[in-house]
Amino acid sequence: MLRFTVVFCARGVTKRCVSSLAGESAVPPNLLLPTNLVDPSRHRRPAPPPDTALPILRSCDTSLPAHLSPVRTWVQTLMNPSDEPLGLTELHPDVFAVPPRLDILHQVEIWQKNFKRISHAKTKVRSEVRGGGRKPWRQKGSGRARHGSIRSPLWRGGGVSHGPRGPTSYYYMLPMKVRVMGLKVALSSKLAQDYLHIVDSLDIPTPDPQYLTELIKQKHWGQSVLIVDVGEEFPENILKATEELKTVNIIPAMGLNVHSMLKHESLILTLETVRFLEEKLLWHDVRFSPLYPFKLPYSDI
Amino acid sequence: MSVSVCLRCSGLRGAVWSALRLRPPAPGSPCAAAGLRLFSAPAPGETRPSIEESTAEYKFVERLIPPSKVRHGAGKVSTGWVPPSPSPPDLPYMIRRSRMHNIPVYTDVTHGNRLITIVRKVEGDIWALEKDVKAFLKDVTGKDLPTQVNEVTMTLKVKGHFDRELKEWLLNKGF
Repeated sequence: MLRFTVVFCARGVTKRCVSSLAGESAVPPNLLLPTNLVDPSRHRRPAPPPDTALPILRSCDTSLPAHLSPVRTWVQTLMNPSDEPLGLTELHPDVFAVPPRLDILHQVEIWQKNFKRISHAKTKVRSEVRGGGRKPWRQKGSGRARHGSIRSPLWRGGGVSHGPRGPTSYYYMLPMKVRVMGLKVALSSKLAQDYLHIVDSLDIPTPDPQYLTELIKQKHWGQSVLIVDVGEEFPENILKATEELKTVNIIPAMGLNVHSMLKHESLILTLETVRFLEEKLLWHDVRFSPLYPFKLPYSDI
Repeated sequence: MSVSVCLRCSGLRGAVWSALRLRPPAPGSPCAAAGLRLFSAPAPGETRPSIEESTAEYKFVERLIPPSKVRHGAGKVSTGWVPPSPSPPDLPYMIRRSRMHNIPVYTDVTHGNRLITIVRKVEGDIWALEKDVKAFLKDVTGKDLPTQVNEVTMTLKVKGHFDRELKEWLLNKGF
């Protein structure tokens, strides 16, 4: 079944490749392309040049180190499906332009996968298997091998000697700063690979999921999109539109995590989310180590 | 505790209260006629002040709550701490300060005799920094010291304990 799905997906990519390429260099039908091939029609929008006429809608709140300059990206809108950006925004380099630490990304992803795991596999030991209290035959003289119980691990139907024992927890916690670094690396990687898009707000004209899918297709945002916003309430239209769609998901900013960012191809942040993320993630670079848990009040939290 | 449990049962409450005579005397009762009243009940003409919550004393607790962020490094200090220069030095590498505003040079001892100096938080061309550190330590010690560059974590390790020399050298550079 896997092979069929691979062939099916590859056929779809092949069709897209054939349509974008010239007629002479047609892809042969028996060529199997990998399923994670990036769509060649996905245009990479060039970074904003220093002399654009568009206004800077947001600059960094915290002061930057003297040797670093903020990263600039376009701010788009979801309201009208045109391709014109509204303006520019400045992003803090210590959140959106950190060096790509793939080892930290791997650590955080594996931690997210495993720390919730409780494996309930359990086998019975020779003492737990029903029966086997009596010595099956006398020690000497019967001609058979000596045994003490019919449930020893040597016997068919006997207990397992070194099997999995009871619910096992795989819980562990990575240090807070490692998890924070993982988020920063994921955001920087998304920005560097042109998969991060900033949007002014999540207002859309209709609650129709079709509108969203067409918008995403037209803007070449990719197969799957993760939309992040700050606040307890989202506009109704976007909630209704994303409810039906499987590959377009919306989460609050507190729920942003490395696994979701890697699972979805594109990441859409609002300006408020950018401000929130910068504030929270940069605090870890200047904070003391905790005297007591950070959930309790400090004078400036 | 057991008394409070009893008092919660509404059936018993009236009986207990009346038994302990804790209700204020009714106007026609013999207690009122004799001129007696509970100490907790106010006199007929007396007005007692109501309970008010005052937040004026909160400041004594609030000033004890610690901050969570390290304050920005002050200018002139008598401890010998030197702030970084306001403009970064014109070199291909940059060494940031730690969160306590110190130079990130640390020493390590393993197996009792393996001395290592680590320079962390390097940005930019770490190989240029390695070249400069080797040249500087050759002047200081006269030996070519083994160094290890980790490009992933952007750290530089040098064999031997040279934290004091390296810190002074980096301070003079303006980091």
